[in-house]
Amino acid sequence: MSDKKTLGEMLTERGVSRRSFLKYASYTASILALPPTAATAIAQGIANARRQSVIWLSFQECTGCTESITRAHAPSIEDLIFDFISLDYHHTLQNASGHLAEEARMQAMKDNAGEYIVIVDGSVPLKDDGIYSTIAGITNLQMLEETCRDAFAVISVGSCATFGGIPGANPNPTGAVPVSDIITDKPVINISGCPPIPEAMTGTIAYLLSFGSVPELDHLGRPKAFFGEAIHDRCYRRPFYERGMFAKSFDDEGARQGWCLFEVGCKGPVSYNACATLKWNGGVSFPIQSGHGCLGCSEPGFWDMGGFYKPLSTAKGDPLQWAGGAAVAGAAIGAASAAIARNKRNKVMKEGK
Amino acid sequence: MELLEFARGPVLTFAITVFIAGITYRVFSLFLMWRTKDSSAGRKRSRSAFASAVREVIRRLWPQAVYQQRTMFELVNGYVFHIGLAIIVFLLAPHIVFIKDLVGLSWPALPNNVVYAVSIITMVSLIAALVMRIANPPQRLISTFDDWFSWIVTFLPVLTGVIATSHLGARYETLLALHILSVALLLIWIPFGKLMHFFLVFVTRSQTGAHLSHRGAQL
Amino acid sequence: MNATTNTVSDAQAAANKFLALNSGNLAAYLEACIHCGQCATACHFYEVTNDPKYTPAYKLFPMAKAHRKTKWPWNWFGGPTVTEADLEEWEELLFDSCTMCGRCTQVCPMGIDIASIVAASRQAFSAAGRGPSDLFEAAENVLTKGSPLGVTPAVFDGRVEWLEDDYEVDLPLDKDKAEVLLTISSIEMMKYPKSIVAMARLMNQAGVDWTFSTKGYESTNFGFLAGKPHIARHAIEKLVSAAEEIGAKTLIIPECGHAYGVLRWSGANILGRPLPFEVLHITEYLAKLKKEGKIKFKTIDGSLTYHDPCQISRRGGATDAARYLLEDCTDFREMTPTGNFNWCCGGGGGVQAMSRAADLRHKVFQIKMKQVEDTGADMMISACANCRLTMDDSKEHWNWDRELESLVELLAENLVEDHPHPFDAKPHLATNV
Repeated sequence: MSDKKTLGEMLTERGVSRRSFLKYASYTASILALPPTAATAIAQGIANARRQSVIWLSFQECTGCTESITRAHAPSIEDLIFDFISLDYHHTLQNASGHLAEEARMQAMKDNAGEYIVIVDGSVPLKDDGIYSTIAGITNLQMLEETCRDAFAVISVGSCATFGGIPGANPNPTGAVPVSDIITDKPVINISGCPPIPEAMTGTIAYLLSFGSVPELDHLGRPKAFFGEAIHDRCYRRPFYERGMFAKSFDDEGARQGWCLFEVGCKGPVSYNACATLKWNGGVSFPIQSGHGCLGCSEPGFWDMGGFYKPLSTAKGDPLQWAGGAAVAGAAIGAASAAIARNKRNKVMKEGK
Repeated sequence: MELLEFARGPVLTFAITVFIAGITYRVFSLFLMWRTKDSSAGRKRSRSAFASAVREVIRRLWPQAVYQQRTMFELVNGYVFHIGLAIIVFLLAPHIVFIKDLVGLSWPALPNNVVYAVSIITMVSLIAALVMRIANPPQRLISTFDDWFSWIVTFLPVLTGVIATSHLGARYETLLALHILSVALLLIWIPFGKLMHFFLVFVTRSQTGAHLSHRGAQL
Repeated sequence: MNATTNTVSDAQAAANKFLALNSGNLAAYLEACIHCGQCATACHFYEVTNDPKYTPAYKLFPMAKAHRKTKWPWNWFGGPTVTEADLEEWEELLFDSCTMCGRCTQVCPMGIDIASIVAASRQAFSAAGRGPSDLFEAAENVLTKGSPLGVTPAVFDGRVEWLEDDYEVDLPLDKDKAEVLLTISSIEMMKYPKSIVAMARLMNQAGVDWTFSTKGYESTNFGFLAGKPHIARHAIEKLVSAAEEIGAKTLIIPECGHAYGVLRWSGANILGRPLPFEVLHITEYLAKLKKEGKIKFKTIDGSLTYHDPCQISRRGGATDAARYLLEDCTDFREMTPTGNFNWCCGGGGGVQAMSRAADLRHKVFQIKMKQVEDTGADMMISACANCRLTMDDSKEHWNWDRELESLVELLAENLVEDHPHPFDAKPHLATNV
């Protein structure tokens, strides 16, 4: 399905106006937090690029990431698939099934060796030789290693692929690991979230197409453009936090007045994502705006952070779990200490006599 | 994030366990020692030994006029950082949430920026106490490892708390983790050093109060 | 003592004694010190020298060290032991430069009674053979001669007889039965016998049934001051058996601070049973007699101020007695600070008996000189022969011009007597014998 024409030529053939193309380039530049001049570079980069072959692998996942990307505000998924990229393999979206689908993947890998991009959603089970998730008779691990061998870059989307996500949550029965644990010889871009913000996914792909390089990443391999700031820092409810005005429950006066949700468990202060700025569903809203605290879904181990409704400043687990035993042990050692001191004293007094 | 989870989880649990065990150890090891009994005939007085003990605990909150002038700095500075620490620990919203989660009690909080200001004042006061410890010859002479280390573990949580609130230097979760780790260090140290005076002050003041009021000595 | 004594080092002997004395009461004090150093501002030795080593909290260190060392499992972590070097360093601090006056206890925000730790530490140092030789000698004299200054029963008997003759005063000695046993300080007997006469005159005028006893007359307790508990006990036992023999209900301590503190507040504890009589300081007893109308005083002229002996006022609780007795004084002036907060004379706690501490003592007296000068009073009264001796000594050192007087002597001179006494006709007779 790969095409040898440039994207610019294709867009012209399809009657996409230069004006609307530039508009798209500007938008992409802005959400990537690039300077305005970058819009031109993006436009030129995409125009000169060839349709990019993309292989989308789905492992232990829920298809939420695909649901999310198909709701991308701009560029729309149709644009992406049919205009910019050649989505050569995707369980949910491709027509082919069974061995025909696998053949399409093989063909794409062969035709575009060293140039194609692999997108992965879902974590990879390693326990018991990875038998907990298999596709077309091979394990996820085998498919991932095989597919990534000749890839140009790998993009992990969703918290399962980036950090293990829900399959990797305690007690992690399948031994699920993130992609970056397995693919270590080429760039792996992490776009975390459960699901990730659609613009974060499409924007990153657009960056790759435009510049042919990996955008600036944070220490967790996430593009800084989307994951550079804590939600708390950009939250419109932040002033209430500073003033100490907190909703104490989901139906109290504070909640109705839209006060800070810190005390009902919001993880905004430690969650790095663009929810508070890009928002969801075309900029309509985001969880905190709708009255629920942030779950911290874009952070590693968010499922095991001690409870969605436990405030961030509380201890994780039950720190008093050994309190009784500690008190008894302390008392026993204390009593022993006093007894030893008494004994020594008696001995010394006896010797002194 | 892993560091924060490590701090909030196992480290904090460990610290609180050691804290509780340490405190009970200190209390039992002291109270179960043999104690001298005073069989001397006391002076007739209006208060019971218990009342004298309680009175002395309260009375020593403020020094006698004779000694005020010479100890004014320690007095004022001591109150500033003790009250400051109490405000920070008990009146910052995230701390109240922590306590509520731990023991189920809660009360109204002060605005964050007020506590922030208090924290800065407290740090200045703690630094002043340290400077005094270094500059005042009697204090320097009697300072031991306990004094220096206790100062550090008291200062660190305030410092890391302020840095975390200001988002200075590192990511918030890292700063928060460092803050919790410093608190864990403080909790672990409290039972084993001079910081135990939070409890012993009641013991020694009441002991001396009962002892000297038995003599009818006015303190 | 057995053969193993020789193998026990001084440091070990001290450590053992510390262990023996380390009660929960004292341990609480040792554990509670926060090293704030405020006690230095209350200590007269620091006040006059500005030498940080005199910081009272520093005097806790040897015992605090010993305490940590015995606290299991604390001692697993090692830590310092009391060493010979410590004994060397702290000997001066615990003996020569602490009068156990208790001012540091007043200023301590933790309420630590440093004086009681010093008393225990002296015992430990004494067990290690550390301490001023003259103080130790005075303490040994109690065992061998019955008195630190060598006032044996025979000497006592002789001097009582001499005083009786010379001052024409009735001094009952060894009555079979008496309500009140009056004791003396040998400092008075040797240096200020007039105050013994004064006490007798006051008691006689009030018609008290009292006596001296050759079996128990010495109220000072140098065994306590020297940290030698067996001597302290010996001295107390003598007083108790003498009082029991005559059936005394009250034992009166003369003008001596530590004698009062030791017998009244530690006597029963050292003895191991409650004392069978009431212990009163002479000022307390005289105040009682005055209140009962048994003695009356003339108006006392001249400006005077009162020096509070630490063990009578601050640590004894008898602060008001002296002031009540002096209320007939036309120009009484209080020092600043006064009463329970008064500065120490510098010679309490046996420091007066340590010749090597003389320089330090003299320096400390400068505080008292300033205090008295600030009141403008011509005369300073005290109710402690030890304070008086310390102050007389220092007064001479500095050529100070103010008068020092004993309270009982002043009161006796101004006593309203049924029969005017020849003593008053010749008040300056034999002040120093």
